Amino acid sequence: MEENNEPTDKEIVNKIRSNDPDSYSIIIDRYKNKLLRYATNLVHNEDEAAHIVQDSFIKAYINLNGFNIKKKFSSWIYRIVHNEAVNAIKKYKKEVPILDNIDFKSNQNIENDFEQKETAAHVKDCLGLMPLIYSEPLSLYYLDEKSYEEISDILRIPMGTVATRINRAKKLMKNICQKK
Amino acid sequence: MPKEIKDIKDNVMDQIHEHKLKMRPRIYFVVGSFFAFVGLISSVVISMFFIELTSFSLRTHGPMGQYRLDQILSSFPWWAPVFAIIGLGVGIWLIRRYDFFYKINFRIIIIASILAIIAGIWIIDVTGLGDTLIRRGPMHGIMKQYLQNNNTQDPPGCYKTLEK
Repeated sequence: MEENNEPTDKEIVNKIRSNDPDSYSIIIDRYKNKLLRYATNLVHNEDEAAHIVQDSFIKAYINLNGFNIKKKFSSWIYRIVHNEAVNAIKKYKKEVPILDNIDFKSNQNIENDFEQKETAAHVKDCLGLMPLIYSEPLSLYYLDEKSYEEISDILRIPMGTVATRINRAKKLMKNICQKK
Repeated sequence: MPKEIKDIKDNVMDQIHEHKLKMRPRIYFVVGSFFAFVGLISSVVISMFFIELTSFSLRTHGPMGQYRLDQILSSFPWWAPVFAIIGLGVGIWLIRRYDFFYKINFRIIIIASILAIIAGIWIIDVTGLGDTLIRRGPMHGIMKQYLQNNNTQDPPGCYKTLEK
């Protein structure tokens, strides 16, 4: 059986805190691409996303002693990127407006249809057309493969709300993608 | 891929090596948490204090049909409930800063905060702590000033001390 010698996030964070700042590069390597994809899904601009991720790594380093080691580092760093992205969206007023009168009609086999028919690229395109409160939990769940609990920690919303938003997002996704 | 994306790691690590980026010490977060906790407790106490002051000012007009509405309106310390609400608002804002808040329904947090304050005031009233504070504690000066300004009849428990 192959032994996994990769240090855990917790071990790396402890090393950085114990005066080994070079280990931070391992954290950056580990999360850079995931966070870039996440930030790009939020702001729909690769350059802006790169700035957000860089600023997030800087903030994370500065506040690393404030991170509770008992919790998941990935949720913490995603939360920082979320905050930075939301601030950027507010700043540049690029937020997609929240649609109040969204059609949630078709309920049958939505999940099956979604999982079987939609490709990742198509999903990404559709995500860009959805309101942020729905697209963000959906992308975290399907693209970043986060659990409901992790999404709850990242977005600071109860798990029940995460489930509701993902369900609504799937219905909305179907409606939007069908119209495309 | 934009050049900036490739440079993220270099940019961050360069800043760390050049000591432009420094980790905040652990004490910074300990002190921050301590003051947030003290602020939370203070806001609850302030809310209770001003709600108690509000109910006290209503009591000073006497029981049953003795009080007059215009007298209450003219002498009522309107700033007291305002401060009580501000204290409650600050308390709820501070609760939201804690990690666990989002796991609980926000409505429950608000209702629980209000109920905790009302329960606290009720306990103070039942145990007579309120009157003790009015006679001897920090409320004494405020109450005395309030009664003098409004030339109001003293409430039970305040006669002896305040008329001296």
